[in-house]
Amino acid sequence: MERRYPRVRFQKKLNYLKGDVEKMGQTSLSAYKKALEAFIDYDEKLVRDVNKANDKLYGMNYHLEQKAMSIIASEQPVAKDLRFIETCIKVSSHLKRMGGLASNIADVAKYIKDEEIPERPMVDIIHMADIVDGMMSKSISAFLNEDMNLVREIKRDDDKVDDLFDQALKDISDSMFQDKDAISFLIYLLFVARFLERIADRAENIGDRTIYMITCEKPGVAGRLDELIEDKTKK
Amino acid sequence: MPYRIEVEDLNVYFGESHILKDININIEKNMVTSLIGPSGCGKSTFIRTLNRMNDTIPTFRKDGSVLLDGNEIYEPKIDVVDLRKRIGMVFQKPNPFPKSIFDNVAYGLRIHGMSDKDVIANKVEESLKAAALWDEVKDKLEMSAMGLSGGQQQRLCIARTIAVEPEVILMDEPCSALDPISTTKIEDLIHKLKRDYTIIIVTHNMQQATRVSKHTAFFLHGEIVESGLTDKLFMEPEDKRTEDYITGRFG
Repeated sequence: MERRYPRVRFQKKLNYLKGDVEKMGQTSLSAYKKALEAFIDYDEKLVRDVNKANDKLYGMNYHLEQKAMSIIASEQPVAKDLRFIETCIKVSSHLKRMGGLASNIADVAKYIKDEEIPERPMVDIIHMADIVDGMMSKSISAFLNEDMNLVREIKRDDDKVDDLFDQALKDISDSMFQDKDAISFLIYLLFVARFLERIADRAENIGDRTIYMITCEKPGVAGRLDELIEDKTKK
Repeated sequence: MPYRIEVEDLNVYFGESHILKDININIEKNMVTSLIGPSGCGKSTFIRTLNRMNDTIPTFRKDGSVLLDGNEIYEPKIDVVDLRKRIGMVFQKPNPFPKSIFDNVAYGLRIHGMSDKDVIANKVEESLKAAALWDEVKDKLEMSAMGLSGGQQQRLCIARTIAVEPEVILMDEPCSALDPISTTKIEDLIHKLKRDYTIIIVTHNMQQATRVSKHTAFFLHGEIVESGLTDKLFMEPEDKRTEDYITGRFG
């Protein structure tokens, strides 16, 4: 009969690391929601909260990296364990950047808080923000639950965000031509659109790292992800 | 890719015990192949089958074929002493003879009929240099080999093995009794030796397998569960049992 010697302490360390990524995910998502709230309905306290969360995420990312390196040094992980730890480091770094971008959104909110924003670009941006909110949740959940189908959804969402971003650029520049005095604050709206688009990219990056962690392959070209999901389902 | 050793449908029995089951593996020339697996999985029996060291065990029997350069090594006409010259072996525990350093290396040459002292002296020097031991022992070749450190003794055993110019070197956990510095020296040596020799190494140290070998085979309960490129096996194993073993979830 086979004797089993599970590495209980090692498994615990991996679970703690996963827990740290989950906490970072919650912090980053909550910062993003508050940043959006501040953007729509300005509140200085919310902006301060977002900036505080951003600082916190920097610290969390640093500690996660330290922990991951200590596990690598002491446990010499291989195969999926190694890919998991590497993915935690990468995901943590993406979450930290998402928090940074949320903080950027909160920071520019003060420049537009008293302005009359034209309806068209605002609709595009709010729509983008909704999709990005979902993408953040999905990316964190895809990683935590190793859910490749969610990654597929994230990729579809990212295409929508890219289209909306192009539309927002067009609408913002149209508004600028219509009212040259508005350029001084519409430029900040442009920034917000750009920040949202970059958060969406980070969510997609987390999805890609999740695929790598599970399959050891990069989704790469279009259609490859479907192939990988099909292979995994067969296994 | 030319194969130095081809093993086909090999089954090994000791009495009623079925030790190796349907082993199929090809060993490439001038490559290092690691064999990993839990204790008692058949790795050592396997490498001992490759130079017919199991022949001395009365209950040993086998079926299937083991080819060295395309020729069956279990043919009755094969001279086992000559075979072991072609397939040398280094053991877990350094086992120098209680003789001088020089005589340890010269021993194999003499029993294979070499008698010219100058030729033997040259060969001893060449082998000790190849085993990265020459600089440490060149001024004390007449000293007893038993006075060397564990790491030096193991390199002496490697020098003794390569003195008779084998084609294949089998290493059965050659570093398990050595400290990290001596282990590094042996691993560096393995990298150097693979230019001229085909090396098969049994190791319990996963990191060592990833450092020294191009190919790795995972043994479990007398079977090869998975074999292939080392990088692939340690990064993306195909079999769940391989993954469980290398990640330490059973052993």
